[in-house]
Amino acid sequence: MAQTDYGAGLTSGPVIEAKGLGVKFAVNRRRKRSLREMFIHGTKRDPNAEGDEFWPLRDVAFEINRGECVGIVGKNGTGKSTLLKLIAGVLMPDEGEVHVHGKVAPLLELRAGFNDNLTGRENVYLVGSLHGMTEKQIDERFDEIVDFAEIKSKFIDTPVRHYSSGMKVRLGFALISQLEHPIMLVDEVLAVGDKAFKRKCYEAIDRMLANQRTMVLVSHSERDLRRFCNRGLYVKGGGLALDTDIDAALAAYEEDTKAEIAERKKRDAAKKKRAEEAEKQIDDRESGEDGADGGRTA
Amino acid sequence: MASRALAVWEHRKVVGLLVRRDLKVKYQQSVLGYAWTMLEPLALTMVYYFVFGVILSADRGMPPEAQAYGGFVLFLVAGILPWTTFGAILNEAPRAMLTHSKLITTMKVPREIFPMATVGTKFVEYILTWPVLLVFVFALGGHFTLMGLLVWLPLAVVLTFAFGLGVTLFLSAVNVLLRDVERLVRILSRLLFYGSAILFPASMVLSSGIPEWLKTLYQLNPLMGIFQMHRAVWFPEFAELTPSTLALTSSVVGSILMLIIGYWTFRRLEMSVLKEL
Repeated sequence: MAQTDYGAGLTSGPVIEAKGLGVKFAVNRRRKRSLREMFIHGTKRDPNAEGDEFWPLRDVAFEINRGECVGIVGKNGTGKSTLLKLIAGVLMPDEGEVHVHGKVAPLLELRAGFNDNLTGRENVYLVGSLHGMTEKQIDERFDEIVDFAEIKSKFIDTPVRHYSSGMKVRLGFALISQLEHPIMLVDEVLAVGDKAFKRKCYEAIDRMLANQRTMVLVSHSERDLRRFCNRGLYVKGGGLALDTDIDAALAAYEEDTKAEIAERKKRDAAKKKRAEEAEKQIDDRESGEDGADGGRTA
Repeated sequence: MASRALAVWEHRKVVGLLVRRDLKVKYQQSVLGYAWTMLEPLALTMVYYFVFGVILSADRGMPPEAQAYGGFVLFLVAGILPWTTFGAILNEAPRAMLTHSKLITTMKVPREIFPMATVGTKFVEYILTWPVLLVFVFALGGHFTLMGLLVWLPLAVVLTFAFGLGVTLFLSAVNVLLRDVERLVRILSRLLFYGSAILFPASMVLSSGIPEWLKTLYQLNPLMGIFQMHRAVWFPEFAELTPSTLALTSSVVGSILMLIIGYWTFRRLEMSVLKEL
């Protein structure tokens, strides 16, 4: 098949290359700004008026070789998913460039492309074809997909809008895990499904990794990361802080989290103290003002 | 640019899939399915014939000899059917990217294919209006001419969809960043409906007493020429019903320009659009 050859025919060079990668978001300008906002609030009343640019990611550079499984760790909102989207090619960088050699199977949003009004069967064919599977390939694997997704045969010809959210996600995973693209991008999708299904997902991913495929995984689950990944990228404050093995990356992340919690506790304590003092002052002043008022009316 | 065109070509199958999906969803949800595509313009034609033909007697703009070839009714049908398609394109253009946001943010495909699929769906629906049109042609005694079928028809169809694609590329990108566009387009489509002389022969405007510059302006609307072509298919021998040189030029140049502007805007805004979806 064309897709498998694509990856296998490649020489030993890196599969994913990122150089000086940066993405910028305009905070106040052009951002979902309807005419109403433009006319009613001027720039003065805009809360984000100062600094109208925000870089969720900047100066990120790395290379990922074939067969590697890389975990991306970091706090919420540090640009992990943005990074994954850049690799997937669904977001264009404002700075630098990213090269991906080979087709990408995006396990980013499992229900993507499912149309609620079409049946499960029609959706499998539609989304499978959108991802580059031929009709024959889907024919061959259809039973396997439905079986994996644990969807009873009587429901497969029911419109997807009647499916439970779990069913949709299972069907999506079952389908995308059948793709033979050499690169997989996974964003938190392992957090879905019940325990039994999760185990099946793990097995499927293990199987996919076994034949020299490359995976980039974003997750908050240390267990998942340790289980699959051999390398870790620690993203911090919009930049790449560490590029080591997964244990070191997780350790650094852990340390920073602890430091932050300690910091916050300290700040809370300080704030409390300040608040108490302020209250005291107000009390003092109020009693003073009462006296003054009394004096004026008199 | 060339590599981009190649990438779009490679994804032509995806366009086909999206078109087929849209048609499937549309027709399986309603009982009457295809019948709706015909009923709506039919009802419109009846209403407009009554108001414009009988009450306002807009048919006086038709040359009397045209009566033999289908007359005012065929003139109305031949204009309203393509307008229904074009109006639908205008209507859906602003949402062409928004409705696919989930796909766009997870799949790496040339983004142009989504507006193209929207226009493609409308093209198929346009083809589906042809049986209705042919019924009218045969019932009213419309005639087929080489000039009509080989010159005006291809020109009209190509220009309508070139213009439609340009508009869709433009609106679909702009609307992601500026949601007001959707409302604006609704008003605009009303204006264009009357501005493109769908319900009365354009010659009525041109021979009326309005100032000369206004007539020129009127002919500069590329849609006016395009929709005159749609009718000229059935009335090619009447000078009043075929586009003037000015109207012809403005519709050809206007369509090409719209396509270029639409594509340029789309590519220009692509980065911001991806961030907003």
